[in-house]
Amino acid sequence: MKRATAKQKTLPAKPQIRDDELESRVKHVVSRTLSRNIPGLPQLDTELDVGPTPKEVVYTKLTSRLYHYKPLVDEIYRVPVLIVMSPVARGYILDLAKGQSLVEYLLLQGHDVYMIDWMPPRREHASVTLSDLVETIIAECIEQIRADSGEPDVTLIGYCMGGVLAAMYTALEPDGPVKNLACFTTPVNSEGMVLYKKWVEAKAFDIDMLVDQLGNIPSDMVNASIQVLRPLQQSANEMKLLNNVDNDAFVKAHLRFSRWAADQLAVPGEVARELVKEFLRGNKLVKKEYRIGNRLVDLGKIRVPFLHVAAEYDHIVPPAASRDLVALIGSKDKQEIVVKGGHVSLVAGGNAVYRLWPQLDRWLAERGI
Amino acid sequence: MSKAQDGQDKDAMIDPLRMWREWFVKSEKTWSDALTDIMGDDRFSKGMGRYMQEALHTHRMFSESMAQYLANLNIPSRADILDLGDRLGQIEDALASIQIELRAQRARLASLGSGAPAAADGDSERKPSRTKRPPPRDA
Repeated sequence: MKRATAKQKTLPAKPQIRDDELESRVKHVVSRTLSRNIPGLPQLDTELDVGPTPKEVVYTKLTSRLYHYKPLVDEIYRVPVLIVMSPVARGYILDLAKGQSLVEYLLLQGHDVYMIDWMPPRREHASVTLSDLVETIIAECIEQIRADSGEPDVTLIGYCMGGVLAAMYTALEPDGPVKNLACFTTPVNSEGMVLYKKWVEAKAFDIDMLVDQLGNIPSDMVNASIQVLRPLQQSANEMKLLNNVDNDAFVKAHLRFSRWAADQLAVPGEVARELVKEFLRGNKLVKKEYRIGNRLVDLGKIRVPFLHVAAEYDHIVPPAASRDLVALIGSKDKQEIVVKGGHVSLVAGGNAVYRLWPQLDRWLAERGI
Repeated sequence: MSKAQDGQDKDAMIDPLRMWREWFVKSEKTWSDALTDIMGDDRFSKGMGRYMQEALHTHRMFSESMAQYLANLNIPSRADILDLGDRLGQIEDALASIQIELRAQRARLASLGSGAPAAADGDSERKPSRTKRPPPRDA
């Protein structure tokens, strides 16, 4: 009996596994088994690492967030760069993944990068106007950047409608802190947006009724209005996915893009009302009749170096809608680059790293000292 | 013809669905253009505007009646859920503002040489020098 007791004492204590540890071990074993046996399954992970470049929020107001991306090199250009995103699109398209990120590329080339990203508007934001976005948010963000960087100048880059906002601000503050202005696929002439123009000019289209009843324009409606410009493109993309289902890199890139494309933002009601009435119907930017607050927006007052980048096959902002921008800008140093690609692939596609990014870097570098 | 091409052609021959998908991808733009031409027609635009008005009218009637019905059943309506979302959004905004303010205060203290850490994550806020010059054009 004594011997038996001694034996029992020498036995190692039975390890105690906590419930949560057990659960995580089971999850790990199941996920490993599935991943090994079903090719391509890991690509279906919904937690794709979008927006991976380290950043911090340095300003927030209404629907805006101002990010400052942490520099990746020890020596940077003097003038900080502020990217103004389109108020209907998520900013992570410019920082989609490591190696597929315009932001990361600019940081590695030595630019100090900030970005105004927009959050989904809440009901209290239905009364936010374009004047709030331009005269308040962009102006205060620039002040924040000047304080943060210690530099008096800022280079503005606007993407799509963000380009309209950036150009409006620069036109309203021609002697202000903007040292350079670059616009990507920026619509200025609504005559070039044939389908939208046709729809909003129809008497039956009542934007007041829409905004008064819904407050903000829902993201589904925004998404549908973009999809309808090329109705079968999404189906074609799914076909391409099926044809490349055994190519992990293609599948991952496709999922990232399609998730972003479906992740459009709602539009504050008053912004939508103004864009439909003043921009689409009135075409007032081209006619030099557009007013922000009480001030007239005259793009001819912009005298800083200017770059416009357009996409040859852009169906969202066709070249006909954006090509007048260069002529309207009053700068002597102005340039237009037309790149092969579409509205999004222009800045975030696999070929952007060869086609656009180096040209943009060169343009910024020469004017960022 | 290379062996690889030969193999691809064989695959294509035995997979009519793949061939159809490839045809669809190639001809998508033509079909999309045809559809957008139809949608750009005056009658379509008028019809769409009318449809939108009717949809908004129905939406209003339905949400008003449903709101009353859900309230009687003591079940939250979509508006109640949106209220909660709005309040969460306000809290997120307030947290972001506090975070920004804390960072600014920390930076101020650090600049005064009070010995306070420069960043919460232990990352020293070593600012890069703004002296970079563009590379020569022909480099």
